[in-house]
Parts: sequence; structure tokens; C-alpha cells
Amino acid sequence: MVAVERYPDDPEAQQAAHGTMVWPEKDVAGSASMGAAVSLRGLTKRFGALRAVDGLSLEIQRGETVALLGPNGAGKSTTVAMLLGLLTPDSGAVSVIGMTPREAIQRGRIGAMLQEGSLMPGVRVGELLDYTLGLSASPLTRKRLVTMAGLEGLERRRLDRLSGGQTQRARFALAIASEPDALALDEPTTALDVEGRRDFWANMSAYTATGRTVLFATHYLEEAEAFASRVVIISRGQIVADGSVAELKRDFGVHTVRFTCADENTSTLERLQGVRQVERRGATVTLSTTDADATTRSLLASAVAWHDLEVRSATLDDIFVTLVGKQEEGGK
Amino acid sequence: MFGYLGLEVARSLRDPRYIVLALVAPVGFYLLFSTLFGGPGTGPSAVYVQVGLMVSMSVFGAMWAVLSATGPRIAQDRSVGWLRQTRLLPVKQSSLLLARLLAALVLVGPTIGLVMLTARVSHSVSLDAGQWIALVAVLWVGIIPVAIMGVAIGYATGAEVAFGVVYGLYMVLAALGGLWMPISTMPAGMQAFGKLLPSYRAADLGWHIAFGNPLDYASALYLLAWAAIFSVIALYFSRRAISAR
Repeated sequence: MVAVERYPDDPEAQQAAHGTMVWPEKDVAGSASMGAAVSLRGLTKRFGALRAVDGLSLEIQRGETVALLGPNGAGKSTTVAMLLGLLTPDSGAVSVIGMTPREAIQRGRIGAMLQEGSLMPGVRVGELLDYTLGLSASPLTRKRLVTMAGLEGLERRRLDRLSGGQTQRARFALAIASEPDALALDEPTTALDVEGRRDFWANMSAYTATGRTVLFATHYLEEAEAFASRVVIISRGQIVADGSVAELKRDFGVHTVRFTCADENTSTLERLQGVRQVERRGATVTLSTTDADATTRSLLASAVAWHDLEVRSATLDDIFVTLVGKQEEGGK
Repeated sequence: MFGYLGLEVARSLRDPRYIVLALVAPVGFYLLFSTLFGGPGTGPSAVYVQVGLMVSMSVFGAMWAVLSATGPRIAQDRSVGWLRQTRLLPVKQSSLLLARLLAALVLVGPTIGLVMLTARVSHSVSLDAGQWIALVAVLWVGIIPVAIMGVAIGYATGAEVAFGVVYGLYMVLAALGGLWMPISTMPAGMQAFGKLLPSYRAADLGWHIAFGNPLDYASALYLLAWAAIFSVIALYFSRRAISAR
């Protein structure tokens, strides 16, 4: 509803706000980028010999909630840092709400939460909120901001004496203090326990329900599935998949066929129809397949001595494992 | 910018190390030394010690006030990630740095005020109104190079060593700069070295005023040179610290 009011001329934003995936097409990228909340083009960042981000291009329309999913070391944090102007890309261009990241931050158009880092030691929560609210022409009052971030009762607490979850709520408050159009969050819930994560997403959902653009990096697949309208999977600094969860399941339809089997040769299993990957843990064999029916049929027709057959349709987890594969095992 | 200045001042006022080293220590040393060397007398030599010490203990305390609010704190803010976090706020980094520097100078106020009050109360040190004002002014301006030095150390060192480096330099500047004992009592070589230091030069500006002499332009030039040198160092290391990320 609010998205419609904010961007009355932008059908894509309305669509996105209602949870429908928007695919930015290459041909219209030029015109689409005019209204894009975030546009990353050919971003590359090297650290010594390591290409942390390798020619990454991504366009995010206003109102989208995008999860940037990837294993540790995939380049999520580096991408977010470049998006915020904290790192300068070796090559490529970044535009946020049509501006450079620095301008967007200076004008309070994008807010951000970093994965780590303390807030001003020795200063009280309320003092820092007052200061931050004073930086922008934010219409928010401190009382309202405290409520939105769930910081009730903590205003007189010193920032260096907050728990991990409380610090994260204070970071969230700083991120939204200027009521930015876009939010970039780098693994916002990594340091939180289950309850903290639930509270965080409750506050976040309330904020983003008003048609804002959000990009969040995470390695929790369930968060991506639950909160993102679009999932971008990156591995080794490159995008390997991009779409809504439903689309990813369709396009990268990875289902699993699992059974126990004493001593079957892996290569025999790999030759079964539709099999993309064979995983073996003890006697348990897990086949990842694009076509569960075909794989199951060919398994039944084969001479493989299987037991306890189990067929499961794709989850985001499976898609992730298939796309990212074994790469994550060497991650930093 | 003034909002951030307030936050930085609040941090110091909550820091026991600021209270002890920048407020309690200079007042305590003033009372100790003025009693040991000046005595309760009102003769010219006693007054000379009482007034001279008032200036040197003001500089001594002021040095800690500015150093504690810059060096160790900037290093800490860099290491815990607060400095990086400020780059996400709609505010320029240069204005935050200026606010830090001004906060450090604001914190000089309580220190020199307290030392002067102590001198006035305990030894009835009396100066003209114009002298008091000029003395406060030159001490305030004279401490700026040391504040910039603190900024440079904050960017040049890490959180683990910044406090040690700052404290070590603070002691060296105080001792060799003739704040604890008159520089004239030192061997010639040490004297020559001590007279180069910004601590001596800041105090020297104050002594000239307090003893009724005209403004000391040589010391002002020395301080200007130190301010320039420390600014270049601070600029170099702050750029390096930011690009290292």
C-alpha cells in the first residue's frame, strides 16, 4: 500500500512490494537503472591474489527485499562494503538511489548495519540516538525510534554495556534514524540467538512493510526464504543464481533421492538419470537431481541394492549446496 | 558537529583516568611541589615558585586532557569498529575529527581552572584580570600541538599500544619540558633539547604572561612549527588508516 503511495509511477516497485519477483532484463537495464534503488555494475575487488568480488553486476528495484546468500568468503561483506562506499572497487560502478554511495549516506538515503563493530564506547544509547537523529532532517522522534528498534528501557544504558542482541538493536536504530529509502545489512543476525533473530526480523519486517528497499547478506538460508522477495546466491565473488525462491526451485530444481546402500560405486550412481551430485556419508547415499521422478525410475531399474528410499523435493538449502558446491569447504 | 563534541566530552567525564590524571594529579602535584619548594612564604622567590608551578601544572594537566581524548581513544575507536561505523552516518569524517579535537580542548578547561583555583586558594596567587585572561588564552592555544600529536598517535598506532605510547610521551614531555623542575636546573644538553619541546614552549608562553613579561613570540613560532609537523603526521596516518580497509 505504502509502496504505491511512494512510487505511484513505478509499476515494478508496486509489483515488487507485493512480493512478485522482478527480473531486470539486460536490454532495459539502462532505463531500469533510473529508478533502481541499487545498481552494481561489473564490481571487482582483489585482496592480493584473491578476487573477493569478481565482475559482479546486480540491480535492485525499489521496494525489493533481496537476500545476498553465500558461504563465508564468498564476497558478501566485500560487496556490501563497496555498496556503502566503505571500500573502493578496483573496477566497476556503484550507484545508490542514483547517487554515489557516499552521497546517498550523506543525505541519509541509505542506512546500513555492519556485521561487527562496537558502537561509541562510554556513551549512552539515548545520547547516540539523539545525536544521530539530529544529523538528518529526520521526522522521527527518539521515542518512536526506540520503539521501532525495541530499545525500550535501554536508553540510559552505556553502549559498551549492551548485550550482543541489544547492540544489534541499537545498530538497527542508527540505520533507520534518517528513515532511509534503502537499507544494506551485512549478516545482521549472525551474532544473535534464536530469540534475538526472531525479534530482529519482527522489527525489520515492520519497517520494510512500508515499501523500502533492503539488501541483506546472510548465510542463514531460512532467513532468505522467509524474508526475501528475491535471493541472489554468490560464490567466489560471482552471482551463481538470482530469483525468487520459487524461481530458483524451478530453475535449479534440485531434489534429493536418498537411500542406504552398502557398497555401490559412485560412478554407477552418477550415471543414473538426472543426477547432478552424489554424496555419501557412511552407508547413506544422497543423490541431488534435477528430475526426481526420472532418477527414481532409473534407480529402480538399476542393479543398485538400495534400502530405505526417500524422495524429497528441493529446498533452498539443496539449491545452495548444489550451486555453491564444495567451494565453501575451503572458505576463510 | 557540536553534538558529537558533546558526546566526546561526556566520554571523558565518565572516564576515571581523565578525572585522576587530568584533574586530581595536577592539583595534587601543585600542592606538593609548591609546599616543598615554595613554602607558605610570600617572599619573591616563594611567589615565583607558586606562580611558575601554577603554569607548569596547568600545562601538565592540559596535556593529559588532550592526549587522553585523542590518542588512545581514536586507536580504540578504530580497533572496535566505531570509526568505520561513523562512515555510515550522514556526517563528514573531517567534521567528526574537528569535533574530537575541539572536545579535547574543551576538556582542558576544567584542568586549568582547577589548578588556578587551587593556586589562588592555597597560596593566594594573584594576577591582574588581564593576566588571568591572557594566561588562560595562551595555555589553551599552546596545548593545540599536543592535541594534534594525540590525533597522530591515534591513527599511527593500534589500540594495544596507543595508551602506552601516549603515556610515555606525556611523561617525557613533562619531565624534559621543565614542568616538574625548572629547566635551568638541568644539564646544558638536556636544557637545549627540553627547550625544543612543545610542553616547554606552551608553559613558556604562560610564564611570560604570569610573570608580567610581554608575549613570547619565539615560543609561539616553535608551537606553530610543532602544530604543522604533527598535522602532517596525523594526515599521513589517518589517510593510511582509512585506505588500509
